[in-house]
Amino acid sequence: MTAPKIKIQELDSVVIRFAGDSGDGMQLTGTQFTNTAAIVGNDISTLPDYPAEIRAPAGTLAGVSGFQVQLSEHDIWTPGDAPHVLIAMNPAALKVSLPDLDVAATIIVNTDAFSKSNLKKAGYASNPLKDGSLDKYTVYKMPITSLNRTAVKEVESLSSKGVDRSQNFFALGLVYWLYDRPLENTLAWIKTKFAKRPEVAEANILALQAGYFYGDTTRAFQTRYRIRAASLPPGTYRKVSGNEAIALGLVTAAQKADKLLFYGAYPITPASDILHTLAPLRNYNVITFQAEDEIAAMGATVGAAFGGVMAVTGTSGPGLALKSEALNLAVMLELPLVIVNVQRGGPSTGLPTKVEQSDLLQAMFGRNGESPIPILAPATPADGFEIAIEAYRLAVRAMSPVMILSDGYLGNSAEPWRIPDPDSIPPIIIEHPTAANSDDGSFLPYKRDPITLGRPWALPGTPGLEHRMGGLEKSPEKGNVSYAPEDHQRMTDDRAAKVARLADVIPEQTVFGPKQGELLVIGWGSTYGAIHAAVARAQTKGQSVAQAHLRYINPFPRNLGFLLQRYRHILVAEMNMGQLSLLLRGRYLRDLATLHKVKGRPFKISEISHKIDEILAGAAS
Amino acid sequence: MSTLEPLHLSRRDFVSDQTIRWCPGCGDYAIISQVQKVLPDLGIPKENIVFISGIGCSSRFPYYMDTYGIHSIHGRAPTLATGLKIANPELSVWVITGDGDALSIGGNHIIHTCRRNVDLNIILFNNRIYGLTKGQYSPTSPQGIRTKSSPMGSLERPLNPISLALASEATFIARTVDIITKHMGDTFLKAARHKGISFVEVFQNCVIFNNGAWQPYSDRQLRSDNDIFLENGKPMIFGQNDDKGILWGKSGLEVVELGDQYSEDDLVVHDTSSVTQAWMLSRLTYPMPIGIILDVQCPSYEQAAWAQVQEAKMQKGEGTLAKLFHAADTWQIQPHDGDRPASQMTVHSRLPSNLDEAYMDDLLNDLNESELEERLGDMDIAALKPHAPILVADSARVDHAVQLMQKHNIGCLLVTSADGHLSGILTENDVTNRILGHDVDTHASTVAEYMTVDPVALGLDTPVIESLHLISTYGFRHLPVVDEHGLPLGILSVRDIIHFLATVL
Repeated sequence: MTAPKIKIQELDSVVIRFAGDSGDGMQLTGTQFTNTAAIVGNDISTLPDYPAEIRAPAGTLAGVSGFQVQLSEHDIWTPGDAPHVLIAMNPAALKVSLPDLDVAATIIVNTDAFSKSNLKKAGYASNPLKDGSLDKYTVYKMPITSLNRTAVKEVESLSSKGVDRSQNFFALGLVYWLYDRPLENTLAWIKTKFAKRPEVAEANILALQAGYFYGDTTRAFQTRYRIRAASLPPGTYRKVSGNEAIALGLVTAAQKADKLLFYGAYPITPASDILHTLAPLRNYNVITFQAEDEIAAMGATVGAAFGGVMAVTGTSGPGLALKSEALNLAVMLELPLVIVNVQRGGPSTGLPTKVEQSDLLQAMFGRNGESPIPILAPATPADGFEIAIEAYRLAVRAMSPVMILSDGYLGNSAEPWRIPDPDSIPPIIIEHPTAANSDDGSFLPYKRDPITLGRPWALPGTPGLEHRMGGLEKSPEKGNVSYAPEDHQRMTDDRAAKVARLADVIPEQTVFGPKQGELLVIGWGSTYGAIHAAVARAQTKGQSVAQAHLRYINPFPRNLGFLLQRYRHILVAEMNMGQLSLLLRGRYLRDLATLHKVKGRPFKISEISHKIDEILAGAAS
Repeated sequence: MSTLEPLHLSRRDFVSDQTIRWCPGCGDYAIISQVQKVLPDLGIPKENIVFISGIGCSSRFPYYMDTYGIHSIHGRAPTLATGLKIANPELSVWVITGDGDALSIGGNHIIHTCRRNVDLNIILFNNRIYGLTKGQYSPTSPQGIRTKSSPMGSLERPLNPISLALASEATFIARTVDIITKHMGDTFLKAARHKGISFVEVFQNCVIFNNGAWQPYSDRQLRSDNDIFLENGKPMIFGQNDDKGILWGKSGLEVVELGDQYSEDDLVVHDTSSVTQAWMLSRLTYPMPIGIILDVQCPSYEQAAWAQVQEAKMQKGEGTLAKLFHAADTWQIQPHDGDRPASQMTVHSRLPSNLDEAYMDDLLNDLNESELEERLGDMDIAALKPHAPILVADSARVDHAVQLMQKHNIGCLLVTSADGHLSGILTENDVTNRILGHDVDTHASTVAEYMTVDPVALGLDTPVIESLHLISTYGFRHLPVVDEHGLPLGILSVRDIIHFLATVL
């Protein structure tokens, strides 16, 4: 019998999802596959999908852990709409992933896990591998558990659980063969990471190789795939998630400002990873403070800002609700600090692990009184790095708290990040006054800089500049308590003006696509990738569509109003019920089309493409 | 900003240009005056002193001090003070708060600030009333007090600030009285010199809304009989003629008359290092303990936080951005070379974050797993092949049940209800302990009266490990096995399980 000849098919991109029980190590598997893809030069974008419950029972739908990665020979912006390939380690993983799959998807299943009890736990009345329900897909049934047990049986001192724990590497080896990937990187990785557990390293290596050779020798697949390298700019890369990027940006800003970084926070999903990333960085002059509640975290951050360090807090929507009181005090005291809101679905406790962009109006207006603050939003995970630095730069310029609006999707998904040269990042220059600033020799804590309207940031410990401030309204310059009508009007105007004047220093809004035309699609935050891909598609179809993605939301870039006049139609796509569109309409009196979605998941490219087509079709008719 | 030169500061240096706006006769005047008087004695340059307050009458305090200060928001002053002290441990940071501010809206912050032992000086102005909002009862108001918000008397029991501070692990706790100015000033000095949290309750009189609330303890005539002024190392004596004392009685601290029966030697000697004694004192209201109640040392939070920074630098070296950026798996992409860029990976020894917790725990913990658990692994009760049970209806007579046991030579019957569900278990022990020798008419009594109702039952899919757990934790000798509807399927005895273990291990 001669083996069928195996074809190698070239693809320009592919979306792969690894799914299994949270004990199966799917995040590790997906991460390894992604790393290898990155090394061979593909562009990558990943989306981990953790179980909603901390320790959901094994084998259940709630316990499924998934990791989706798109790799491509060209720039990509999202982890992909629909997986082309699914590796399902058990029935629950299959069931959870099926609705998302591409119509012509390939499914690799671990048949050993399709026992009666596992099928029951996943809520399958009949075995989907046998009842024909998967007929429209290409299904490869592989007894991964038993194949793997045979492969690693010679490793001594490994428990039976330990043996099965390596089966994710068997699956990974199989996929490496299928996508013509080298094993070397993962082999080296295993040796380094499990150096202290040689038996684990050995098992994982045997499993990986066995999976690869199984693909090679059994000829179970008729086709192998190859994705050519993307032409990423040369440099040193690593992966960063949005939460990591923000943490790195904060540390960078602190070093560039020559300050200790104080991060005061209360644990909250999906923002806690920023705390976790910063907590071990004590040797970088970082102090993290886990407060007794969200209120205390904000209060301590205000106190730390008064003390002269770089003060930052992070939270998610429900936490921001609690923080609004002390945040408003920072507005009144005019102290520079950064507050990161990694948004999640709301209202109330809402959807802690799901993405939404519905805190924009809370960020804008969720405080009593006239209380404007600058708001920035990273467009991609890696963009969090620059946004964090920028946020602090603006905070010290305006002497104001600055909000970063990230979200759960940005926070958890990762992309390659070209590591910058630290010296290329400009310093953040802060001058703390050391002498009186009035003719009579007294210190005026609210005497504003004529250009920025920021007030002097005098630090306790500086002789002669002793001053008192509070949440009560105050007189200009002196800052003494004052309820005088003109004083309140003047201070309110000044607080608004100093935020508005940031528009003088933030970059003008850029546009991807024609500088004028039929349609401009506007978004902010994590929708960047999906909108960009949809707009790029429309442009290749010859449609006159451009994208403007806002990283600065308050104040808006100074040319935004002008841009809005250059297109016949404006579409605002956001994962809320129309918050940016409300701001844009109010500010620019411009009619807008809107695309809303609050399903706890990011936009699919196709959803935006569809809306673009709809608008352009309507315009044509 | 330390200096070797004498500072030559005086009270006047701490008075700001703002006109004080407390009501005439308010106890706050005496407090601010004492603070301003003792601050020069601390030898701290005034630019290093910061007062942070919340909201309330007392919280206007920082405006009147010529130091740094923040008049913050209701109840949150300890949080700002904590952040400030961490940011700059050189500063002497004072928290000015009231009974409503600290104990009601700010209750949580007080607890945690004390527990962390941040080096702050908290001065609690306790006047047992809300003054700024014009006279509602506060968390320290006595129960039954009639105020604007409690016209028929307040229903709430008051909080004891000293007990709260103790329960919150504060390391310096004291009480003083607004009009006993010398004592108050000394107490502030000692509080300021204590490294770590200092919590000072001041009995403060609100002349408008709660005048005389502390009169028994502040009035010059009354207080010597009602207060005990605590001094470390001294016996607890009080009374106008030093004729009363406190000793350890059967149920705690007891007041006695000195004279024939008791002398000074019988009295408790005040020990500010004893938490137990401090607790007893905090519960005492006659006499009212005034003075330093507790004074113990432990590292302060901000010191420890900065020590961690230093320790981390010693261990890992000063962090640089280049090091930080590369602390992950990295790869290089070289300038384009034909179809595929040459690239190379550097593996960092740190495991990536965001891995599956269950997988990682398993990976890191499995060496600790016991041999038994390992062997039993996923085995469930079905593997033990439980015996068919002997059933008896709960309505059956007891003598019938005993005969069944005898006949089958077994020690346990499963009892079923009328619909066949497992409703109980009747064991040899029940028979020996509850029936025999208890004058039970076994012909007239039913099984239902003597069985153990709703016993813990296993399913066929229950892990064997769990049955072992039940036996070892609760001492069960027999475990019924039921199906998913609660119908009895079988029974396992301890002996069955031991036999099974012998075959597996």
